[in-house]
Parts: sequence; structure tokens; C-alpha cells
Amino acid sequence: MSKVKSLFRPTEYFKPTSVEEAVKLLARYNDKGAAIAGGTDVLAMKDPRIEALIDITDLGLNYIKSDSQGLRIGATTTLADIETSPILSKSPYNIIAQAAHEIGTPLIRNLGTIGGNLCNASPSADSPPTLLVLGAKLKLVSTLKSREVPLDEFFVGPFRTIKGHDELLTEIELPLLSPRTGTSYQRLTKITTIDEALVSVAALVVMDDKGGVIKDARIALTSVAPTPMRARQAEEMLRGRGIKDGLIEEVARAVADETSPRSRPDYRRSMSAVLAERTIKEAIARATSDVV
Amino acid sequence: MINIRLNVNNEDYQVEVAPYHTLRDVLRDKLGFIDVKNGCNEGECGSCTVLVDGKPVTSCLMLAAQAQGKRITTARGLATDGKLHPLQEKFIDCGAVQCGYCTPGMLMVAKALLDKNPNPTEEEVRAAISGNICRCTGYQQIVEAIMAAAAEMNK
Repeated sequence: MSKVKSLFRPTEYFKPTSVEEAVKLLARYNDKGAAIAGGTDVLAMKDPRIEALIDITDLGLNYIKSDSQGLRIGATTTLADIETSPILSKSPYNIIAQAAHEIGTPLIRNLGTIGGNLCNASPSADSPPTLLVLGAKLKLVSTLKSREVPLDEFFVGPFRTIKGHDELLTEIELPLLSPRTGTSYQRLTKITTIDEALVSVAALVVMDDKGGVIKDARIALTSVAPTPMRARQAEEMLRGRGIKDGLIEEVARAVADETSPRSRPDYRRSMSAVLAERTIKEAIARATSDVV
Repeated sequence: MINIRLNVNNEDYQVEVAPYHTLRDVLRDKLGFIDVKNGCNEGECGSCTVLVDGKPVTSCLMLAAQAQGKRITTARGLATDGKLHPLQEKFIDCGAVQCGYCTPGMLMVAKALLDKNPNPTEEEVRAAISGNICRCTGYQQIVEAIMAAAAEMNK
């Protein structure tokens, strides 16, 4: 009878100094290789199938850059750096920093990275709702090609993404925001050692010049479905509408109807509506005021 | 096994490690730094906290191999020339040490906080230690000790 490997015992450690070198290693080791940055998921999970650890912290992917096209965040930017980034803090992008602040503990945030939070793909991951409403695209690189994938298409199931074993997430790209864009992020916790999300909701609205019509709306949630999700039908109920009494409450209920929570479903649905209402209202208020 | 050099409390150590050894494993089991505790092994209790280039991290979630080329500080590195650091003195004075298991981790986090923010509010102290669990004190004495140390160091 063959012995089943049940302990985490990788036999190789590499520290490539270029993305080219890193993706060659990922291609070589395929499903037996794992990229490791902060290690806060890799070393907590201790997957016994991993034979090679490929340290990606020396590839220069720790940055937050703002340019005429929008924002680019390197995949190994730590959550602590995102939390405290001056570039994010004074703009509607700051919901990314708010979400990062909620992850783990201050110690974990000094190690953990935004790329890791995405690639680990927990159904209750905290950063995805904020990146989803901001229209994030992910840059995935392999030895064969480089591709950009909308974050909307990235998650396929609990802890599963479309990223291949031979691919490295290098960058998160965020488009420029339209004028009169407001964002909001609210969260309820499970009250455990590290307070994982019970429900989190992020909302983004773009208002017209007069501040009475919603030109665009995006609503995303975590911990209420097998993956982080957009509430697309609810979004449609807001687009092109004038703000009137009862609309947002109705939309909030529609958000709850789109969720499919596995555990504590009644409470999660109920709280999805509560947080959706709060975030939509706050996003509208921010879109129509001068203060972010 | 790989041969690596680690700098701990300003001294270099040459040590053989496996790819899967964490920094905590190596500091505690191979180099004898038993001030670095073994708690939950998954980064949630904070008892393994050390400073890496001045930043507090849970050493159970960092590979030993990843700590090459970095400055590591453990609680033992706080005292200088046999004299206790003000944080250590205040922890004793304020009764912030009961079983002592969380203490090295708390000290490391407190040191990093005061290095960055010499005059923290109580809120900021509580936020800084939010990744370190204490089962004994109820945290009050720990917070007082850190505030007292800050006051002492700012004199």
C-alpha cells in the first residue's frame, strides 16, 4: 500500500529575481509548485501536494502607481502598504484600503499581499468586492503568454480561479474613475479570532451632472456565495434611474435575492440588504459631494 | 536542506534549514530563541511575533529561507548591555505579565509601534496589539504598560 503524503514537506525553495525566471519555474513544477509571497495563506494551508516553493517577493511587484490610465497595483504589494497608501486614501479608490484594513491582523497585513488575497480565492475574501466595483483587471503571465482578465471572470468556485498553475498574477489594473463617482464599503464580521467577513458589500455609483440620476451602479459582495459576486440585476435596477423614495430599499432587497449563502443563509441575506442599502446611499452621497 | 545566514538581534547565524521550515521553527528549535513562542501555528495568536526589518510579523507564516538578508529582532534583543528596555520595565511594573506566553509577542509589537509612533493614543495601542491574544490579563495592564513606556521614553 502506498504511503499517502499528508505533511507539508516541499523539497525545493527558489527565489527568482525576474518574472521570466519565476514563470519558468511555475511551468516546470506546474501543480506541484506554488508561488509564495507573504506566506499567510500558503503556510496556513500547508498543502501537502506542494513540492517547490517559488518566492515571488523579489520581482519588483510591490507598488501602487497612478497614471493617466488609472491605477496599477503590483500583486505582491502588502496589505499594510495598501492600508496606508496616500495614493488610495484621498480618492474613491480608498475602499480598497478599507477592505485591506479588515484582513487578518496587523501582523498578517505586514506579510500578506493583495495578490495572495485574490489568488487564495476564499469565498469570504475581503478585497474582491472593492476591486470588482472598481472594474479591476488582472494581469496573468506565463512562459507562453500574458493576458488580462477582468476580475469578474477570475473566481470560479471556493478557492478556485481561472489562473493556471503555470501563471503568475503580476498586476491589478484599475481604470480611471468618471467624475461624480462615489464608493462605499461596509462589513459585518463573524466575531472569531481574526474576524472573517460575515457579509461585506461594496458599492460604486456614478451620478449625472445634476446629481439626480444614477448613470452607473456596481454592487459587489463577499461571503454570500461560493465566490465574491456582483449583484448585476440589482445594478440594472439603478442604472439610468432618478433617485426617488423607496428605490434604494427595493434595490437592496434585490441584492439580497441574488445571494446564495451556504451557511446562516437567512441572516446573511438579511444583512446583505442592510449593507447594500447603506453602501448605495453612502456612495450616492459621496458622488454628489465634494468630500470623498 | 539549504544553508542560510540569518541576522538575529544584530548577530549572524549560519544554519541549515529545509525549504518548509518557518522562521519560527528555526529561531526556536535550531537557534535556541525560545522567547519566540509556538502557539497556533497559523498566524492568529501572535505569540510567535518577531520584528523583520522593524516590522512585526508572525514568524510562523514566514519561511526561514525568506528571512535571509533581513534584520530579525526577538524579545531578547530588547535589553541592551543587561539593562531592560523601558517596555520590559513597565510590563513588570504594571503587572502586564502573568503566564508570560504572549509577552514576547506583545513586546515586539509595542516596540514597533513606539518606533513609528512615539506618542500613541490608547486606541492606537489597542489596534496595534489586536493581532496578539492574551488569555490572562484582559489586556488592560498591557495597554497601560505600553502607554507608560511611551511616556517614559518621551521624557
